[in-house]
Amino acid sequence: MKFIVNSAYLLKQLSNINGVITTNPVVPILENFLFELEKGSLTVTASDLQTSMITELQVESKEKGNIAVPAKILLETLKNLPEQPVTFSIDESTYSVEIISDNGRYKLSGENATDFPKVPTVSNDFSAEISSEVMSRAVNNTIFATSNDELRPAMTGVYVNLGEKNTTFVATDGHRLVRYRRNDITSDNGNAIIIPRKALNLLKATLPSENMPVSIDFNMSNAYFKFGNIKMICRLIDERYPDYENVIPSVNNIKMTIGRTDLLSALRRISIYANKTTHQVRLKITGSELQISAEDLDFSNEANERLSCEHEGEDIEIGFNAKFIIEMLNNIDTDQIKLTMSAPNKAGVILPVEKDKNEDILMLVMPVMLNQYV
Amino acid sequence: MEEAIVKPFRKIIHVDMDAFYASIEQRDFPEYRGKPIVVGGSPEGRGGVVATASYEARKFGVRSAMPSKKAKQLCPQVIFVYPRFAVYKEVSYKIREIFQRYTDLIEPLSLDEAYLDVTEDKLGIGSAIEIATQIKDAINSELQLTASAGISINKFVAKIASDMNKPNGLTFIGPSRVENFIEKLPVEKFFGVGKVTAEKMKGMNLHTGADLKKLKETELIKHFGKAGRFYYKIVRGEDNRPVKPDREAKSVGAEDTFPYDLTDVEEMVIQLKKLSVLVVNRLQKQELKGRTITLKVKYHDFKQITRSRSFLNGIDDEETILETVLSLLQQTETENVKVRLLGISLSNFNDVKINSIQELPNDQLTLF
Repeated sequence: MKFIVNSAYLLKQLSNINGVITTNPVVPILENFLFELEKGSLTVTASDLQTSMITELQVESKEKGNIAVPAKILLETLKNLPEQPVTFSIDESTYSVEIISDNGRYKLSGENATDFPKVPTVSNDFSAEISSEVMSRAVNNTIFATSNDELRPAMTGVYVNLGEKNTTFVATDGHRLVRYRRNDITSDNGNAIIIPRKALNLLKATLPSENMPVSIDFNMSNAYFKFGNIKMICRLIDERYPDYENVIPSVNNIKMTIGRTDLLSALRRISIYANKTTHQVRLKITGSELQISAEDLDFSNEANERLSCEHEGEDIEIGFNAKFIIEMLNNIDTDQIKLTMSAPNKAGVILPVEKDKNEDILMLVMPVMLNQYV
Repeated sequence: MEEAIVKPFRKIIHVDMDAFYASIEQRDFPEYRGKPIVVGGSPEGRGGVVATASYEARKFGVRSAMPSKKAKQLCPQVIFVYPRFAVYKEVSYKIREIFQRYTDLIEPLSLDEAYLDVTEDKLGIGSAIEIATQIKDAINSELQLTASAGISINKFVAKIASDMNKPNGLTFIGPSRVENFIEKLPVEKFFGVGKVTAEKMKGMNLHTGADLKKLKETELIKHFGKAGRFYYKIVRGEDNRPVKPDREAKSVGAEDTFPYDLTDVEEMVIQLKKLSVLVVNRLQKQELKGRTITLKVKYHDFKQITRSRSFLNGIDDEETILETVLSLLQQTETENVKVRLLGISLSNFNDVKINSIQELPNDQLTLF
């Protein structure tokens, strides 16, 4: 089989799906792209068994055939070629692949396409459509809070609950939790799935900058995303998601409102002085003043800053892991945030003061117990 | 002129008690003195094995790990003594106390041998030979036992030295003699070289340290794997392994020597179940979770093997432990064997951060 394609165009399409390929896959053939050619259309698949990505491109050819091509060598070659039409000439009996450019000829050995694992099909039991902008916002807002503890697989993904009135995305690692809710995504047949972090990271990386619809079809074991000429199929995490609604406090009587960037930059400075394993910082709110301090007894390091804030309710002194708060503040799009608390050993909740009418975001963080409350 | 910074040589002593178990028996029971005795299993009944033979018995060719029956053939008048491990432990502890007068860098290898690092000794004696002499004298006068000591600049040479003038020996291999000493050393004396490796080396016409020295590091690694690198260094007198004092528990385990040898896999499984319960109790008492599970099997001839498996996360539950040791047991020969002892242990307690799993301190509160 033979086809001609623009080198830069092919490189761009392959780069979109290349992220799936792992360096040391379970089956060696997964180090390849699967090329399937038919009627001038080339379908390329990359997979790690859990997640597969497929792209389709137009090439010049009248032939039909399949081959698996080593991904790394192919990408390196394309990256180093000046933009030009290249000819792929494939001998399907020996699996040898020849690339012919103006500069020369490159020969590499491919593998039998039939050895490439079959990508699961998703009978569209349930489906939804989300704009790519909203999708990437939902992913960005939640993915950082997922866990990488493989012993609790449910928390290594983002929980997506498609409801009749809204859709909720939840991520937690057991110490902090993000709940991101959209009123503009609804589904008639309510359903919940857990999408693995890797798939979402790939999605995040490939979602185009211009806004376009992303369609999602899913059943209980797989989800199927489609946007532009890219498809992604991922195996879902088949686990029970922790009962997250129960841990969100219904009433937090102590409320502090403060500038997001003021708090963020203060925490960044103070955390330099905090213990490097605990990242423990102390927040003391009295009247309209927030005092942030940290110390690392091992090195006799200590720091403290005072910021003014709006404060409702009793005074409080509470410890947090600065890394958690910093990450949350980095991922919340608002000038002012509200931090609500009830006790030094109960969850703190961060909410944006200004928000989009279609979205509702809540970030929760468990405190660190301080050994002394002055 | 620039002054070269020379790292001073370390002073390592390897102390090895002479016929430890047998000497204690002869000390405590005058009727055994001057006679060939064997501490270990009796030649009748189950296949007893020699744990330690007195020097009188060694003259007849009786050696450790030899079947007691064979010992009896070699030396019909030999007296078999049942071991008293509690006593040996107690004596070992007293020897440790003697060591501690000179240094805290003590690495016990077993009840009867230990490495000491006396580069800086507590009493400021300065001479390792003097310290070794004092230790030997103290063991002799306080415990009425004899020990052999080897002194050198690293563990490897010190250990070989202690074996050179047994019993009651003291051998010093100074820095200038180390290379020459190693070159002359037959390969089977090298640390980690057992029968199989020694055969292999001889097949390659490698008989002494000098022969090994002729090979390039890459060649040694090619033939002997990771150990090759170690041989390469050690044959050049480089052995930087520190003397590691045993601080906290490195492993938690349980083992049992059975009143009769187990031949049936099902019986072994039953015993492993019992042991895993014991291990779990001990782990939980000490609030430890180990990442490595080790199965130990000792056969009727005292040959011992271990098989282990490591996990990403700490383990302290019975189910995982049992499942793992049973699968480890499958990796061993279970047909036509006589198993004398089974043991399970967990080690690797400190969580290594693999995969950047965040290990948060306990005072970080959790949600679920």
